Amino acid sequence: MFSSRNYSVSTEGTHAQVDFVDSYPHHMNLEVWVEAHNKLGKIESERITQDANSFLKTNPPSDIKVISEKGFPTSLLMLWTHPIEKYYGKLIYEIRFCAIGSPNWTYVSTATDIQSFRLQSLQPYTEYITQKLAQAKEENLDMHQTTQYLEIGSNFKATCMIINTTEVTADDLYWILSETTVSKELYTKLNESAISVTIPITSVQSEWLFCRAKEKSSYVVLNAGKFMYGVLLKKGYPPGKPENVSCVAVQEKTVISSTFSCEWATVGGQTSDVPTKYTLNQSELQCSTEGTHAQVDFVDTYPHYMNLEVWVEAHNKLGKIESERITQDANSQKNPPSDIKVISEKDFPTSPLMNWTQPIEKYYGKLIYEIRFCAIGSPNWTYVPKEDTATDIQSFRLQSLQPYTEYITQVRCQLGYWSEWSDNTTTKTAEDRPTSKPDVWRTIAEVDGKNERRVLFISKDPVFANGRIITFDIKIQEQKNDSLQWDRILVNGSESSDGQRVITVLKDMLLADLRPVRLYITATNSVGKSPMASLLISAKGQVPPVKGLKVWSAEGKLWLKWTPPTVQMCPSMLWSGSVGIRPIGRGKTKTPGSLPLKGFVRYTVSVYSIYSGQIGKPASKEAYLKEGAPLEGPVVRLNDKPGRNQAELGWVEIPLHRRRGFIINYTINYTGGGETHEITVPGNTTSYTLKSLSSNTKYDTWINASTVRGSAQSSTHSFTTLKYAPGEVESIVVGVSLGFLFVVLMTMLLCVYKKDAETPKENCLSGISVLDVDVCDGKILFEEDKACLPLKKDKYLSEEHSSGIGGSSCMSSPRQSVSDSDEGSDMADTTASTVQYSSVVASNGYKGQTPNPHPQQAVFSRSESTQPLLDSEENPDMMIQEGSRQSQRFKQQNPAEIHLLEMDQQQQQQQQQEEGWSLDFCPLEEESEQMNPSEVNMIQNVSSHHSRCLCYCVLQRPLVEGSFVIRSATHNAFQSLSSFGNSRNNLHG
Amino acid sequence: MLVMAFDSSRTVAASRNQQCGNSVQQSLKLSRLLQRESVDLIKTYKASQGEMSELFCKVSVNNVPDPNISGLEPSEKIASIYTHLQEFFPHFKWVYEQQTDLQLPTSPLLSDLRRFSAGSRNLANLINNFYQSLFPNVPLPEGGPTTLPPPQNIFQQKVYGCVVLKTFKELLSNVSRELRSLKSQVCRRSTHTNTLF
Repeated sequence: MFSSRNYSVSTEGTHAQVDFVDSYPHHMNLEVWVEAHNKLGKIESERITQDANSFLKTNPPSDIKVISEKGFPTSLLMLWTHPIEKYYGKLIYEIRFCAIGSPNWTYVSTATDIQSFRLQSLQPYTEYITQKLAQAKEENLDMHQTTQYLEIGSNFKATCMIINTTEVTADDLYWILSETTVSKELYTKLNESAISVTIPITSVQSEWLFCRAKEKSSYVVLNAGKFMYGVLLKKGYPPGKPENVSCVAVQEKTVISSTFSCEWATVGGQTSDVPTKYTLNQSELQCSTEGTHAQVDFVDTYPHYMNLEVWVEAHNKLGKIESERITQDANSQKNPPSDIKVISEKDFPTSPLMNWTQPIEKYYGKLIYEIRFCAIGSPNWTYVPKEDTATDIQSFRLQSLQPYTEYITQVRCQLGYWSEWSDNTTTKTAEDRPTSKPDVWRTIAEVDGKNERRVLFISKDPVFANGRIITFDIKIQEQKNDSLQWDRILVNGSESSDGQRVITVLKDMLLADLRPVRLYITATNSVGKSPMASLLISAKGQVPPVKGLKVWSAEGKLWLKWTPPTVQMCPSMLWSGSVGIRPIGRGKTKTPGSLPLKGFVRYTVSVYSIYSGQIGKPASKEAYLKEGAPLEGPVVRLNDKPGRNQAELGWVEIPLHRRRGFIINYTINYTGGGETHEITVPGNTTSYTLKSLSSNTKYDTWINASTVRGSAQSSTHSFTTLKYAPGEVESIVVGVSLGFLFVVLMTMLLCVYKKDAETPKENCLSGISVLDVDVCDGKILFEEDKACLPLKKDKYLSEEHSSGIGGSSCMSSPRQSVSDSDEGSDMADTTASTVQYSSVVASNGYKGQTPNPHPQQAVFSRSESTQPLLDSEENPDMMIQEGSRQSQRFKQQNPAEIHLLEMDQQQQQQQQQEEGWSLDFCPLEEESEQMNPSEVNMIQNVSSHHSRCLCYCVLQRPLVEGSFVIRSATHNAFQSLSSFGNSRNNLHG
Repeated sequence: MLVMAFDSSRTVAASRNQQCGNSVQQSLKLSRLLQRESVDLIKTYKASQGEMSELFCKVSVNNVPDPNISGLEPSEKIASIYTHLQEFFPHFKWVYEQQTDLQLPTSPLLSDLRRFSAGSRNLANLINNFYQSLFPNVPLPEGGPTTLPPPQNIFQQKVYGCVVLKTFKELLSNVSRELRSLKSQVCRRSTHTNTLF
């Protein structure tokens, strides 16, 4: 085996020695030569290439014993111990002996690895001297295993030699690396008994390299171990030169510790197979470690003022190297100064005095200090210039601090190395008079109906309040020459805990629109007054806003552009919603916003033009920094009941925080009867009427709300169109009825004419008489109608009477109320607490006409009753909408309107009378006597196909405890009817 | 060649002058430090000796080295400083051994004595360096034989220790004074000499 490492040594003599690193390279091929060189040239000797073990010279065998045995008078048994472990190689021995006095040695060679030998052919009873020589001898290719440390990146050349055998030749040898046969192309045959191979060392993992011989004979097979040689290749890097060696000795109590710690930076890599160790050297002290720091302990004391030479040696199996040597006065690291006190003095609000105690006696060296401080909450330290503190001081006066501010101060010192910073010392500087003006603001609100404004003045403490503001002194001046007294406003000021400046409301006043005023203000703390600030409130409408304000987003900012008003504009301000305020330079007409804005949030940007002491009206625009698709769609509903061919859709706008952009349009989608339609409407639309729908068809509809960045879909809303249009059935019935009536009339007329022409018949005449009576005798007819009204003792089960709960109507439900009561007073007694009134109002029922082909559309307005509900109430779906409508109608009828209606209807009656219709007033005679004098006038328009009589019914109902609470089918109706009731109550109160 | 010789000599002289200044400065600082530490050490010593400790230090004892620096020439003065320092070391060792028997192993006096003794040896080394930097070819004279006191009782041991420390403190005071003087004498003169050369 051959090592690629080179060792050289120079000498002027004829012998030299080289020192292999750590161990002798057993079984490596050594190439040795001597180079002679002088100023005139150089020349090399022949190179000797041999196995390293052939150079071995062991100690002689030890513990030699020569035993004389009685049975062997001419023989001596020699016993000895190997001088070295047999693993280093096979030892052969040579023995020589001679009789005492004989000048010649007799030599015996032993070729085997023995530890005993019997000398023979000796003279009996003769003293002999014996000596033994041991020689290490290599096997043919023994199974020796050695380790070779190699540098990664280098080439390793190995040579395998055949010794003392002719069983194999160099051609029979081959190499195995990591259980893989090395390609023969890498072999170099040196001679008939040696081959070499060169292997690049690349990977980090250790590998076995074997030289083996082909099993060409039985001898080789039987002695396989002798024809195999292996070496373990361990790989690594030579040590790197340690850098940045720094050492420190720290203070312990009042003295410097005798422990001297150093650290350094490593250079280059290392592997687990070839670890690098470091030795810290300080003169005679050493400490080894595998890490990057170590410490040595000086004996008894730290060597103050002694020159120390420190260096670090890195060494591993591949070499060693030293760091630069540090030679300097012994440094040490001291504790930071202690007992730091910062004294805040009243006369020096910006210059507190610091005192501290030096950490160690000055005899250890001259300490210099460094001081830093910062206001609480500030992230940055302010450092006192070192030249101010580079002397042996124990006090220092800080300068240029803010009054009435809490500061943290720290000190450190240096003697060799800087100590750590001392613990925080917190001190508040003393108060000083305010050095900046207070910030004054105003809000102006319009006052309705007057040419005045409500002005509210507020003030923030000065930025440099330098203390706690106790009072604000204000003066409001209308003209320049006004000399008004100052008003003092006390501030019951607790200081703001979050560092925000305190806001104080100064004055709330009404100000004429055309009256300009100027406010002067000073803030006062315990030391003195601030500079005076002023704010002008100009006359209303004098200051125009900027024009043509445009807002757009670009480069992650909102940009504004505007045209200045005609008046010269002074520095203006940007106000962005509740985000903040940013001043803009004078004369600028375009600027990017620098406030912390967020995307998908709608901001209102207003530009105020600020004139000399005045603020103009703002020009405002809404804008998004970044738009996105809405997070949800609008809520879709039907504005009204669907018709036969149309339906009105309405939708609620997406909440602002979910909109994330300006809605540019809505897309209405509806599907029904297998067809899908899509309609796009502008973004400011909130309803749309779908037309040309199929009757009696279920439609699904949904709406997409779109921004420039995308759209969001609403949930699907379904509705079904009606089979018949509203009034369609009624029209047919009325038409048929009129047709039938026409036929009857015509028939009767024919009968009359025929009677006139012939003899009248009793039957026909009686029929006409009935009709006449109905038409003409309104009193009688009214009596009949009156009998049909509710609240009668005879429980008249008229189809038109009221539910009987309390209220009544001429046109009631055709069903009998279960709550009819004989005694109105009884009813009041029993339901006074929960039941007041209920009314049942029919809009257009025909009196006494049953059955009605259509469900009667009526509204049930009912008090909070424990009584069972009417059927109509139990089926509100039938009534709810119409009922609401009725309620609305009632709500709008105030007493005056009712009288008008009464008059109109009287006129109508007269008109009808003129037209030949019976038009009667129905006075309540008997029934009215039983009613409470407190009346509620209700007007009912009753028409009957029997009598065609238009009745105005005036009902008088008692009010229970003066209240009128009506429950309706809908909340709105309830409110409306309540109002109505109240109106009625007022009317008759 | 003359110019070269001139340059070479000037460089050596300047370097030697700087080394002189450093050595004497370091020696002076260390002597002051030891002087300060000797004050604390004597306090600790007194506190460790029990009753009548003040009395111990007022008794005179023979066989304690002389604290006075002798010699007229700088070399003699420096050599005297060195030999006086050397003379005290066996006494420190003797005091330490005595106090080891009298004090608990954890006594701060023992560690202070060790530290002080080591610091004094460092001072002697610095003085040696200082001397060698000034007179590289003149060996420092060996100190005379040290005479340690005969076997003592405990009271005598306590008195002896205190006297040794007090005397050494006095020596340190003298050393500091002499070093200040030498610093201005020797190092400045050598600078002058080099300039002339």
